[in-house]
Amino acid sequence: MLQFEMTLAARELSQRKLRTVLTTLAITLGTLVIFGMNILLPTLLKAFQSGVLSASGQVDVTITMKTDETFSRSVLNSVRRVDGVSVASGLLSRTTNIPDKFYGNAKVGALTVTGIEPSAAQVLHNYDVVEGRFLRSDDPQAAVITKSLADTLGLGVGDKLRLPTTEGATTLKVVGLLPARTLPGNEQVLITLLQAQKLLDLPDRINTIEANLDTADSARRQAILDEIAATVGKDFTLGGMSSGTELLSNIQMAQMAFNLFGFLALFMGSFIIFNSFRTIVSERRHDIGMLRAIGASRRTILGVILVEGLIQGIIGTALGIVLGYLMGAGIVALYVPLMQNYLHISIGQPVVSLWLFVVTIGLGVGATVLAGLLPAIHATRVTPLDALRPASAETERRTSRVSFIVGVALLAASIAGLLSGNLSLVALGCLFFLIGLILVAPALVQPIASVFSALLALVFAREGTGTLAKSNVSRQPTRAAITASATMIGLAIIVGMGGVVWSITGGFLDVLQRSLGSDYLLMPPSVGLWQSNVGAKGDLAQRIRGIPGVAMVSTLRYAMASGDGQAVAVLGIDPQAYPQVASLTFQQGDTATAYADLADGRAMIANGVFAAQTHLNAGDVVQLSTPTGVKPYTIVAVASDYLNSKISTAYISQANLQADFRKTEDIFIQVNLQPSADAGLVEARLNDILKDYPQFSLVSGRGFIEQNRRLFNVVFGVMFVLLGVLVMPSLIALLNTLMIGVIERTREIGMLRAIGSTRRQVSRIVVVESLLLAAIGTALGLLAGLYLGYVMVLAMKVVGYPVTYSFPYAGLGAGIAIGLLFGVVAAMIPARQAARMDIIRALQYE
Amino acid sequence: MALLEVENLTKVYGKGETAVTALSHVSLSVDAGEFVAVMGPSGCGKSTLLHLIGGLDRPTDGQVIIEGAPLTKLSDEDLTRLRRRRIGFIFQFFNLIPVLTATENAALPITLDGANPGQAKAKAREWLEKVGLGNRLDNRPDQLSGGQQQRVAVARALVADPKLILADEPTGNLDTRASEEVVTLLRQAADDWGRAVVMVTHDARIASYADRILFMRDGVIVQEARFPIRDDHNADRVMDLMRQLA
Repeated sequence: MLQFEMTLAARELSQRKLRTVLTTLAITLGTLVIFGMNILLPTLLKAFQSGVLSASGQVDVTITMKTDETFSRSVLNSVRRVDGVSVASGLLSRTTNIPDKFYGNAKVGALTVTGIEPSAAQVLHNYDVVEGRFLRSDDPQAAVITKSLADTLGLGVGDKLRLPTTEGATTLKVVGLLPARTLPGNEQVLITLLQAQKLLDLPDRINTIEANLDTADSARRQAILDEIAATVGKDFTLGGMSSGTELLSNIQMAQMAFNLFGFLALFMGSFIIFNSFRTIVSERRHDIGMLRAIGASRRTILGVILVEGLIQGIIGTALGIVLGYLMGAGIVALYVPLMQNYLHISIGQPVVSLWLFVVTIGLGVGATVLAGLLPAIHATRVTPLDALRPASAETERRTSRVSFIVGVALLAASIAGLLSGNLSLVALGCLFFLIGLILVAPALVQPIASVFSALLALVFAREGTGTLAKSNVSRQPTRAAITASATMIGLAIIVGMGGVVWSITGGFLDVLQRSLGSDYLLMPPSVGLWQSNVGAKGDLAQRIRGIPGVAMVSTLRYAMASGDGQAVAVLGIDPQAYPQVASLTFQQGDTATAYADLADGRAMIANGVFAAQTHLNAGDVVQLSTPTGVKPYTIVAVASDYLNSKISTAYISQANLQADFRKTEDIFIQVNLQPSADAGLVEARLNDILKDYPQFSLVSGRGFIEQNRRLFNVVFGVMFVLLGVLVMPSLIALLNTLMIGVIERTREIGMLRAIGSTRRQVSRIVVVESLLLAAIGTALGLLAGLYLGYVMVLAMKVVGYPVTYSFPYAGLGAGIAIGLLFGVVAAMIPARQAARMDIIRALQYE
Repeated sequence: MALLEVENLTKVYGKGETAVTALSHVSLSVDAGEFVAVMGPSGCGKSTLLHLIGGLDRPTDGQVIIEGAPLTKLSDEDLTRLRRRRIGFIFQFFNLIPVLTATENAALPITLDGANPGQAKAKAREWLEKVGLGNRLDNRPDQLSGGQQQRVAVARALVADPKLILADEPTGNLDTRASEEVVTLLRQAADDWGRAVVMVTHDARIASYADRILFMRDGVIVQEARFPIRDDHNADRVMDLMRQLA
């Protein structure tokens, strides 16, 4: 029996090739976005995790400070004393970004230099030395590296390995090789702990304790872990490290946003399927009635329709997965240089999890079958008598009153949400708004169509084509509304994202100009991810100040802390020098006094992200956990600079950073020249000095702003390509509905041609119909898009991004243009088909 | 000169071995005010003849001349204009647009011709009143009976004042009473309004309203009958003729 259903379904699909292709394409696009995006973002995540976050390796537990700061080796001794800890070892590890050309043409973005206690580490990790020997505790200037790193750098046992340090480059001797690294992430350089402490100028300090436990019993292990946690205290965390979490959460946010877009695309796809199947069923009423008359059961009818859906779902999903993989991999490839250049993170192969396959297939095939279910059930209600009745295009009597009322209620609720100003309510309101519009749409079709057809009548007066087109649109308000809703969602995404992009570029570029407006910047390899940069001791800044023609030098110093339970990057600035070369963009507090206040006691300027995370305002006191204990800092202002606008950050004076965090290393330096200075001469001197500090690159302020503007353009370019993919389903929906309409009205079109409509008139009816549908969708889409954009900007603002909502005039313009363009493009094929119809065959069409 | 002249009309579908001759060297002429019925078994070519006369299809050979103008020489555009202005069509299944009112449906040919909407509607109303639907002007097709719908179609066929009305089984989908109402209207179109009417039908009783009946078989006209006096026995005469031909 199933074979009969399969045969029938396959024949029906191959008979109507164009429709089959369009319906399948709708599913393909939805799954493409979901699959592609979920390859891209996890790949980036994994790159972050393996590049920035320390993997805990094979050990049972790793102990680090919540702030990722270093701590005294004495903590290690107390951990060793905990009952149940079989072995514990302290290490001092630091990821060091490697400047371009540091190793000639060998490409190494960053290295993790790890100081270990050789004997304990060997017990914990069981290092397998493939060549040479392992480290000894008394090895001076020795290093063990992986075979892969050795190959990259062209080194062998006995060769010298250069590394950048705070005091300039140092040289180590390679004594042994470990097996090649197979996982993505940074290569490791193992040296002795003593050597690391010396290189990093951190005597007797470690930043990680690794330990193994003496039992595999999970209850007992938990007890031991609890005991360790109690021993080390609340400033420590067990497990992985927390650094980089801000960026991690940024990526996760992006993932959520793209998943939302994917679902919207699939939602549109389902709309299209639903629409197609409704038509298929009404079109085949005769055939279905005949099948019922000769004895086909309702179940068989249901089966035929569902099998058709299943076939399209499977083909569409399979195509979507293939294209999605290509898209994901393509964008990953596009991002590789970006990530390499700006964050010094290398990206591995695209990550595809089995789960992603399962979920994508489930969603793609599931959505198709579900969307086909209602029409299929409708088909089972066709009686044998229907086979005998003449076919004509059906007209919907009236639209559902219940859905209209629910829709109005949702719209009212969404307006209330918008007025509340509360982000969650506004976001919920946005969802309500979309659903509300979709529910109300059928009732709006007639009035909106009337308004627009009156406008169109001015163009196509006196031929009745406008009236006919309007009637065609409003004879099936639900179908028109579904089509318009698909257009609406597509345009809402464009207008909404337009609003966000508009607001971001306006806001960010302004902040960029202010915070990096100095003449020269000495940039570390990784901007924003400060902890992996090797800075310079104060004498570099001193040497720069000595260059004739330099007016002012301001430096940034970095430490990690936690305040009110939130990880926060603490940046040390010189309160006198900083405002002279750069400026923060203030959201709260007094610009005039804020910098001076930093010099006065323990004070900080919090950036928007930190203030939002901790719910603190200017005037509040935050307890910062520092390597020297918990210290109270008063927030004197809330302000952001460009580089740190996405990361939870606090600005304090360099004096406080030195006292509380013991940090004196400059990681970012800004230089202003005297008006009379010879820029070429100063630049030459700067380059000269920087030869000793290869980790810094010299960039002109204006050049950097330009570079960032370009980066924005690249990122937004990619985004708009994605938006294009998301908008395609709207176009297909429109095309699909028009095709369906033309097929359904074949006899009417035949009649119109018989009584004297020209081909052009028939084609114009379809074009006007398309324009009307597009206009309805555009009108609704603009409304929804404005709301969506407002919500997204508000959300960014609430989490602390320095953006203000700008009304997206350009987005609206683009929306209207795209809407109209869709109307014309979608009508092309159906209008041609209608105009070319053979009159006699059309009149005999059943 | 006759209003409609058909000369040697031939229509062959397909080519070579699969070729089917639907119409073979058919000639006839119809004058203004004349009502002609075409009868014959299914597949005899009567609908093909009607389609060719109406310019819906092009003949393989021969020609159709309406008001002195040969259709074969007309472009698709001119043919369309001719249908709109000089021919009125009536179909078996009414073929009204479900979303338009009776008036709008009836006004379609002149609306499509670019007439002023107000005038087009006034004219449609006038014709709807003539066919007895003065009280149904704003009803949509689904609010009308089959007979009423077909009368709207008759009004639509007449609204552009065409000289020729072509009806393809106009009563094929109606009950006896409605059928009689419709064929009476066609009779009136010929008698009172001076139109030439060509009607294809299966129904002897309906055909008996015509001035002349053409019997077709296998693509040719095999017999022609005239009924100068209309009475109740004409239908029986037609039946007899059909039986003889069978």
